[in-house]
Amino acid sequence: MKVHGKTIEFDAEGFMKDPALWDEQVASAIAREEGIAEMSDKHWAVVNAIREYWKEEDLAPSVRVLCQEAGVSVREIYKLFTAGPARGACRVAGLPKPDGCV
Amino acid sequence: MTVAATARDRGDPHELPTSLPSTDGLDAARGVLARAVGGLGCFQLDACLRCGLCNDACHIYLAEPEPANLPAAKAAQVTRLFRRYHTPLGRWLPRLAGAHELNANALRELGDAVYGRCTACGRCALACGIGLDLRDILRVGRQMCAAAGLVPDGLERTVKNQLETGNQMAIAREELLSTAAWLSEDLQAEMGDPAARVHVDEKGKRVFYLVNPREVKFFPLSLLAAAGVFHAAGESWTMSSRFYDVTNYGFYAGDDAAARELTRRVIEEAVALGAEEIVLSECGHGYRSFRWEGPRWLGRAYPLAIRSVLELLEEYLDTGRIRVDPAKNPARVTLHDPCNLVRLGGLVEPQRRVLARVTQDFVEMTPNRAQNFCCGGGGGMLSMSEYGERRVRSGRIKADQIRATGARVVATPCHNCADQLLELSKKYGLGTEIQAVVELVYSALVYPATREPPGAASARTVARLPD
Repeated sequence: MKVHGKTIEFDAEGFMKDPALWDEQVASAIAREEGIAEMSDKHWAVVNAIREYWKEEDLAPSVRVLCQEAGVSVREIYKLFTAGPARGACRVAGLPKPDGCV
Repeated sequence: MTVAATARDRGDPHELPTSLPSTDGLDAARGVLARAVGGLGCFQLDACLRCGLCNDACHIYLAEPEPANLPAAKAAQVTRLFRRYHTPLGRWLPRLAGAHELNANALRELGDAVYGRCTACGRCALACGIGLDLRDILRVGRQMCAAAGLVPDGLERTVKNQLETGNQMAIAREELLSTAAWLSEDLQAEMGDPAARVHVDEKGKRVFYLVNPREVKFFPLSLLAAAGVFHAAGESWTMSSRFYDVTNYGFYAGDDAAARELTRRVIEEAVALGAEEIVLSECGHGYRSFRWEGPRWLGRAYPLAIRSVLELLEEYLDTGRIRVDPAKNPARVTLHDPCNLVRLGGLVEPQRRVLARVTQDFVEMTPNRAQNFCCGGGGGMLSMSEYGERRVRSGRIKADQIRATGARVVATPCHNCADQLLELSKKYGLGTEIQAVVELVYSALVYPATREPPGAASARTVARLPD
């Protein structure tokens, strides 16, 4: 994927190979692949909450932390990101794929 | 990102991201093979006739028809090593016997076959003309790789997380407790009942409920739904904040020692909390592991009863402990059969009878039940990123099955399948929603139920009881 001159590479699961290349334009481009034509304030709130937690803990946040930090309800998150918090929201936020059954 | 094949992941085994085993590793793998000769027997390990009857049974071969994906070719990776050490001809004239030295390269090729080209779904066994279960043979291959330290990274990390933290996603205990409290608030709001909640660490409850950590960390709607249905049924239940994981990645890795330890902890925790029965949340390999493999790993029967939540849901409906209105689920629903739950676990009908009663338009996909195709994400495939593209390609068979039903919702009693189905929906443009069976039961709940005598509650219930 090319975003404003940057070449973004993804692993076999579609997660960014080099999270350091992430920026808001990259996020918007990945989001379009997720069927999100335009990132809303709520989408950004979720993505920013994921990134802040990840920078501190080196882990993807749980859906509880995510919803509480971003101020969205548990049912709302699956409407915002239809692929869910892991394969959807974490991917847009530029994280590597979380381990386990996801 | 793309569904198209690349030369690399089409599988030159020399490019696989596995490290080389040590000499000790090779000895350990040989030891596993020698024990398998006593366990499985020479008959199974060297009985495949290469007749090809099972070719079209394999979803991976159907999606990628290349020789290395033939079920018999995968099993041959084990058989050629068996012949080298356990047949007279193979010992003296290996080339003539089609035997092969167990060296580092042979093990890497074996790893590629048993982890990267097989989801251990067992569908090939149904097609076998001589009743051979190739899955058993391939499992010996996984055990050999595990003994040699060649488990794919993603799978190995998951086993390690599970052993070290008690759950496969390394969720901290405080996080589980906070999530239970947070979900309880939503549940109370949705049911309009402040008594409804997710029960944790309560002693002397009848049911000890195990969940997939995925339900705690990323997809809690199924846990919310289960808590809601339990509450409506007046069930006495609890989870543990320490050992609540229904999955067993030791089983996937072929690591029996890890599998045994993970089973032991859960059983002991259930006993310590004084529960009468373990109820397993919707999970294919978790059901197979806990219900059928666990007692064998432990070498003894469990001291308490165990069953799937699907069986409990049916009991609630049969006995009138919950009331449901199928009109609350008007969309067309189809059912995906997880291999480890259905073909290999024997739990076939309860989920169908439940769905028929809680939805208005339930249709089967074809083929179904024991003949159903794997979603492509089984056997630990979902946690091995290196095979991600093949996983999505091999899911085409399942995507075609779903599309043909015209369903808007795919119910699946397995969180592993659910993740794969969610991705297939996206990649193949199916536009389907994926739900656990318990979610559909929860959304059909009539709560609070009007007071009617049990049995009169639902005409459907009465209709299917034998006279």
